Amino acid sequence: MTDLPHTDSKKIGAGDFYFAINATFRFIEKQLGTDALCRYWQELGATYYSPVTAIWKHGGLPAVGRYWRAFFDAEPGAEVQVEVAGDRVSLDVRICPAIKHLRDHGREILPCFCQHCYYVSEAAAAPAGLTVRVEGGNSACRQTFLPRHSSLPPQDLARIKEVA
Amino acid sequence: MIGVYDFCGHYDWTFEWLRRQGSETLLRQYWDEAIRGDSQRHAAELIQEQGFAGMATYWGHTLEHEGAGYHTTATEDAFRIDMHDCPSKGFLIRNGLGAYHDYCDHCMGWIGPMLKQAGFSLDHEHNHCGRCWWEIRRSSDRTLPSQPGALAGPHDVRLRADWRVAEGGLDVYRHSNRADDKTRK
Repeated sequence: MTDLPHTDSKKIGAGDFYFAINATFRFIEKQLGTDALCRYWQELGATYYSPVTAIWKHGGLPAVGRYWRAFFDAEPGAEVQVEVAGDRVSLDVRICPAIKHLRDHGREILPCFCQHCYYVSEAAAAPAGLTVRVEGGNSACRQTFLPRHSSLPPQDLARIKEVA
Repeated sequence: MIGVYDFCGHYDWTFEWLRRQGSETLLRQYWDEAIRGDSQRHAAELIQEQGFAGMATYWGHTLEHEGAGYHTTATEDAFRIDMHDCPSKGFLIRNGLGAYHDYCDHCMGWIGPMLKQAGFSLDHEHNHCGRCWWEIRRSSDRTLPSQPGALAGPHDVRLRADWRVAEGGLDVYRHSNRADDKTRK
């Protein structure tokens, strides 16, 4: 099993696809509403990304760290530090490749764009016995993956910045 | 985070998700509004302004960027693309993905309306195995599509032994701008 469940012949993705991701979020929010957009992210995380869940469930936090390193290596323009330490994996996102590419090309970004990272990752992480907390956004953030504990407070969505 | 490395995988998944939320109509609305009108609006602007030259610029950039195996042919009256190795459908095939029943429809779903707006129509066929061809002409031009090899020479995808992969496997569009205009052969 590789660090990424889906592989391509090219090493790095095409940045213009961020246009379509942003446009997809905007379309769903406009046509179906904000709740539907959150549900889209959750269902995407739970189903499309289920092979990622399997990798994390099988390999634990070291596999989470390998996944995110491989993931950001394949995203154009990303500057992300991935650290596996103790009971957690931390992603220090210094330059979010999506926000950067969209801004560089003058695209209007959906204000709640950064929330997708929480909803998608949480849906993928939960069946692997993990959870995620996201803080920051609007081009830089910190994402922490750790084992699920009932004592852990839930994600405070107010800690995820809107894209300005 | 949703990334672009495996974009075609979650793009395909999104088609099926949208279909289940509403209908095929909602999905076609998505291709037209979100992809043509929002995501790919730079393509629409380029082709609206520059016509065939804009097509060469747009598809030259996009297909190179996506790592496609393709060939383009431009004449005064037509722009032709022969796709020998579609990076998008190829990604799905290689990774065993296919949430939506006909992923290839998405190209006609946004390119068709975009070209209509710019005054062009399409002849197009795809074989669902990562190979297709497009001939784009002005909407007023009723010229029939070229015979295999006549425009693109040896680069014509229809000359490949694996073009007709299975009986009934080709989706065919003639002088069209809509994803639903297809017939099967």
